[in-house]
Amino acid sequence: MEYLTVENFKKSFGGTQVLKGIGFELPKGSILAVIGASGSGKTTLLRCLNFLETPDEGKICLGGEVFEAGKRYSEREIRAWRKKFGLVFQSFNLFPHLTARGNVSLAPDLLARERAREKKKQLIKEGMGRRKASAAARAFRRELLQNNARRADELLEKVGLLDRASAYPHELSGGQQQRVAIARALALEPEILCFDEPTSALDPALTEEVLKTIRTLKGHTMIVVTHEMAFAREVADEVIFMAEGRVEERGTPEEIFSSPMSEKLKSFLKREYYDETAIS
Amino acid sequence: MSKFLSVSLSLLEGFATTCLIFLLTLLLAIPLGMVITLGSRSRIKAIALPCRALVWVVRGTPLMLQLIAIFYGPALLFGIVGFDRFAAVLVAFTLNYACYFSEIYRGGMDNIPRGQREAGLVLGMTRIQIFFHVTLPQLIKRILAPMSNEVMSLVKDTSLARIISVSEIIFVAQEYTRQGLIYPLFYTGAFYLLFIGILTLLFRLAEKKTAYIKV
Repeated sequence: MEYLTVENFKKSFGGTQVLKGIGFELPKGSILAVIGASGSGKTTLLRCLNFLETPDEGKICLGGEVFEAGKRYSEREIRAWRKKFGLVFQSFNLFPHLTARGNVSLAPDLLARERAREKKKQLIKEGMGRRKASAAARAFRRELLQNNARRADELLEKVGLLDRASAYPHELSGGQQQRVAIARALALEPEILCFDEPTSALDPALTEEVLKTIRTLKGHTMIVVTHEMAFAREVADEVIFMAEGRVEERGTPEEIFSSPMSEKLKSFLKREYYDETAIS
Repeated sequence: MSKFLSVSLSLLEGFATTCLIFLLTLLLAIPLGMVITLGSRSRIKAIALPCRALVWVVRGTPLMLQLIAIFYGPALLFGIVGFDRFAAVLVAFTLNYACYFSEIYRGGMDNIPRGQREAGLVLGMTRIQIFFHVTLPQLIKRILAPMSNEVMSLVKDTSLARIISVSEIIFVAQEYTRQGLIYPLFYTGAFYLLFIGILTLLFRLAEKKTAYIKV
């Protein structure tokens, strides 16, 4: 059975339809690369999956749960859905007032506080005295926060930046910032990790360190929107080529890059890919 | 010499009122300004338009006029008398400064990249969490300089309270001029300068404390 199914995504902005019925399936642990020219709707697709935009039509099934566009969802439900998808932005979007470690642990720490508050409420409901319940909740929170700190350091180590854990974003290079952003996206253990052109704001010299980090994440289910054709070919299990808001062609990297079928894909690859390989 | 001492003491008493107006106005206007900012940025027109209209009226008329309107207005319009002078001062000042603050906040918020909020959303944070943990720290850093200007204006604007006979420091000094004593009026300048000096140091400290945030 497929793990993630996206069906018939449609999205318009002020009369222009950017997504015209996108659908795909993704098995657990596999990597999907999405390629296509600018304006083909790749970023909008990711934004819809992360609930930054609401699709006009469409359906997401993830591990047995279903989200249907058009239905009303409470903020709580949308938050729960958002946590299932992580997103690494093109422009990193790290929080400038927090250190690398602070960036990674902010969201888990806020969750820990919420959980501690809920625990307190529950204990009081179960008949525990107010003061005792507060103390228990505080201890519980402390434990969660300690776990988060440990986990943040593990993640920073995973992206090779443990030694920079106390640095603020402006003290880090673009590549390092993006690696912190990857650690941050992993902190809530999303089921699907999405990348929106993670290297397009970076110098070629810094691109490789980010791609290297993404390679180490194999095993996570990932959707990577990218301009790095060689990278897509190397890491993806499946590739989708988007054009004008539709899936124009899909297949294994071998099929897409070696024997493209449609004219649009052929001319796209001619521009974006073959030049690249010709040089190297 | 004992005259100078008694002048100093009564000026100090007036200065206490000045400080009280200043502190209470600040305490009330800082959060109210944020409410007005959020209101005028609201997508709901019925909230946004009144907020913007309020800012327009308040910024478009002299504070002195607002003070008079708030103190005498209820009596003239509805025959309600006995409105407390000090309360009228607080209402007028708070409203006035909240509107100016709200424009500073608005400018600061507009300059925070949209990606910051989106990063918070994607991490499953609530709007309130994003406001307090993502927007506010960056906003404070951005508005510190323009806020210091407004706050210092407020110190001096408190002297307008004498229009409705609230005995702040200038009011007290003017009582002396009526007795033919001029110097207390100039003496008040020293109080203001001292106050502004302290504020300048405090703002400099705040800027140092937030220097680590590069936005």
